[in-house]
Amino acid sequence: MSTIAEATARGQTRRRMRIDGWRWAGRIFLLFMLLYTAVPMIWMLITSIKSGFAATQFPPQWWPDEPTLASYQKLLDPQNSVGQDFLRFFWNSLFVSTVTTILSVIVAVPAAYAFSRFTFPGRNFLFFAVLLRNMFPAVIFLVPLFILMRAIGLVNTHGSLILTYLTFGLPLAIWLLKGFYDNIPVQLEQAARIDGATRFQAFIMIVMPLSTPGIIATAIYSFIGAWNEYIYAYTFLSKNEQLTLPVGIQRFFSENTTDFPGLMAASFMMSVPVVVLFLVLQRYFVRALTEGAVKH
Amino acid sequence: MAHVVLKDLVKTYGSFKAVNDVSLTVNDGEFVALVGPSGCGKTTTLNLVAGLTSITSGDIVIGDRVVNDLDPKDRDIAMVFQNYALYPQKSVYMNLAFPLQMRKLPRDEIDKKVKEAARVLDMTHLLERKPRELSGGQQQRVALGRALVRDPAVFLMDEPLSNLDAKLRVQMRSEIKRFHQDLKATIIYVTHDQLEAVTMADKMAVMNGGFLQQYDSPAQVFAHPVNMFVASFIGSPAMSLIPLETSTANGGTALTSAEGWSLGLSPRNVQKVTKAATKKVVLGARHSTIKLHKSAVPGSIPAKVYTVEPTGDVTFVQAFLSGAIVNVSVPPNIAVAPDERIWLEFDQERMHLFDGETEMALEAD
Repeated sequence: MSTIAEATARGQTRRRMRIDGWRWAGRIFLLFMLLYTAVPMIWMLITSIKSGFAATQFPPQWWPDEPTLASYQKLLDPQNSVGQDFLRFFWNSLFVSTVTTILSVIVAVPAAYAFSRFTFPGRNFLFFAVLLRNMFPAVIFLVPLFILMRAIGLVNTHGSLILTYLTFGLPLAIWLLKGFYDNIPVQLEQAARIDGATRFQAFIMIVMPLSTPGIIATAIYSFIGAWNEYIYAYTFLSKNEQLTLPVGIQRFFSENTTDFPGLMAASFMMSVPVVVLFLVLQRYFVRALTEGAVKH
Repeated sequence: MAHVVLKDLVKTYGSFKAVNDVSLTVNDGEFVALVGPSGCGKTTTLNLVAGLTSITSGDIVIGDRVVNDLDPKDRDIAMVFQNYALYPQKSVYMNLAFPLQMRKLPRDEIDKKVKEAARVLDMTHLLERKPRELSGGQQQRVALGRALVRDPAVFLMDEPLSNLDAKLRVQMRSEIKRFHQDLKATIIYVTHDQLEAVTMADKMAVMNGGFLQQYDSPAQVFAHPVNMFVASFIGSPAMSLIPLETSTANGGTALTSAEGWSLGLSPRNVQKVTKAATKKVVLGARHSTIKLHKSAVPGSIPAKVYTVEPTGDVTFVQAFLSGAIVNVSVPPNIAVAPDERIWLEFDQERMHLFDGETEMALEAD
């Protein structure tokens, strides 16, 4: 008896050790991933509070001897030309991204609802045509879209970017939202319509509140996509006062000698809206992506 | 309350006819069950009455209005859904208040009506809860309350008990029946469970393949099914149907089996059989109208036991007879074993005869 008990105990220890080994491997891997994503951001932050000289020193200063917010002051000061440009680029990006987001929600919500609820001729074809757009790399459309924009006179306007970002963002937005609407039982709307609502009221009063997480996720997705986009903004816009942040930062700081602390401070401030948006709304985002994965 | 008339109702999806020339009248205060197997068109019919689906042709009258083109909200109906369809983001109170808010009732009147409905359904303590915090039975009761609070002309119920467990279903069944008796409400109730229809409804409309097969009181449908489908659908265990042929020998008419035996018929049943267009006749008998004998008696037919299912107060015996399986119920003290040879005696007064080609019931004059 005792030998059996011992053998079992030994077997259990061994098994426990093996599980622990895997768990530690997992932890180390996660740690590595964390370093991989966090270190560049930390370095960006540290560099942004260095002086121009300290930023290019080798070996590097891991922590600046004289931390300074001078770069931030320069960028946010509307009096000097650097600050004027930065604030204008920031405003341009905010404008383009916000309009893109609003338009894509306005279009995606009814489109997704229609794909989810109604059967109409060409429904499946249209739905896949919408997704087809996302199967090709963005660069393929660069030249044709530029020619198109020139033909309709939109080159060097923010309208060209908004239109382009919509064609990128909408397919996924519609697809994401359709999944959401598919999960809302049609009987809820039917009940509302019997209870005295019109079809539109049933949608606004019952379906919309239930799909808020999906709409928020869609909005974040569109906003981030538009906020970070570089190649189209670089191609379609050439006038300095129209540039968006990704292009503006790059152009502005690499003309003569690169002001690394300034570049890093600008990059940091560019990531702030996205990070804030994501932190505030992340619970909706996670819910949107996992909704319908399991039956409640 | 109001009566409901369906006249030549048709609904087609492409070339598929989901509802086929259905006509029936639901009188004021009547409880009518639409019953049939899945895909028979009963839920579509209900959705047509509710206005959730547009009709292809025909007329729907509620009260004295033709409602063909009215929106669901203007038809003065309330509906209870199989999955309850409670608004998940709203509390029970707000769920009950919603139909009244949509009708722009004053706030204090809404409050009064909601509390009254909650009191009637014994769920005052649940008013502040969200639907997901309620059990299935409680959700069902809220759904019923939301229908009740409006005081509609007609209640439509789409399999309201199907999502409940067996015990709760029996309990809610009597609650809904009581609800109908107290309110004198006009109710159209869809179910695939013939037992629900038989136990609850004043009248039942049996549907199959989009056609209305029979519309009558449960007792009448049970006793006089118009065709083989209705005969086999209503009643549990199902009516046994045995395909046979008529033969005339020495001046008498009998039903003969390919197995070699024949069954003499009473004069009334002979009259029925002569109505058939062909020699093929199907004999239908319910389990309680067949007597089981352990030895041959005059007029009995030999059969072989297939399975024996004791249920406690009655034992169901399934036997092979002329290629069909026959259900017989016997008292629990009669012991039979599988594969045992038995003899079955049919009650001439209560047997059903169907035309083997048209599957319609054969009636005497």
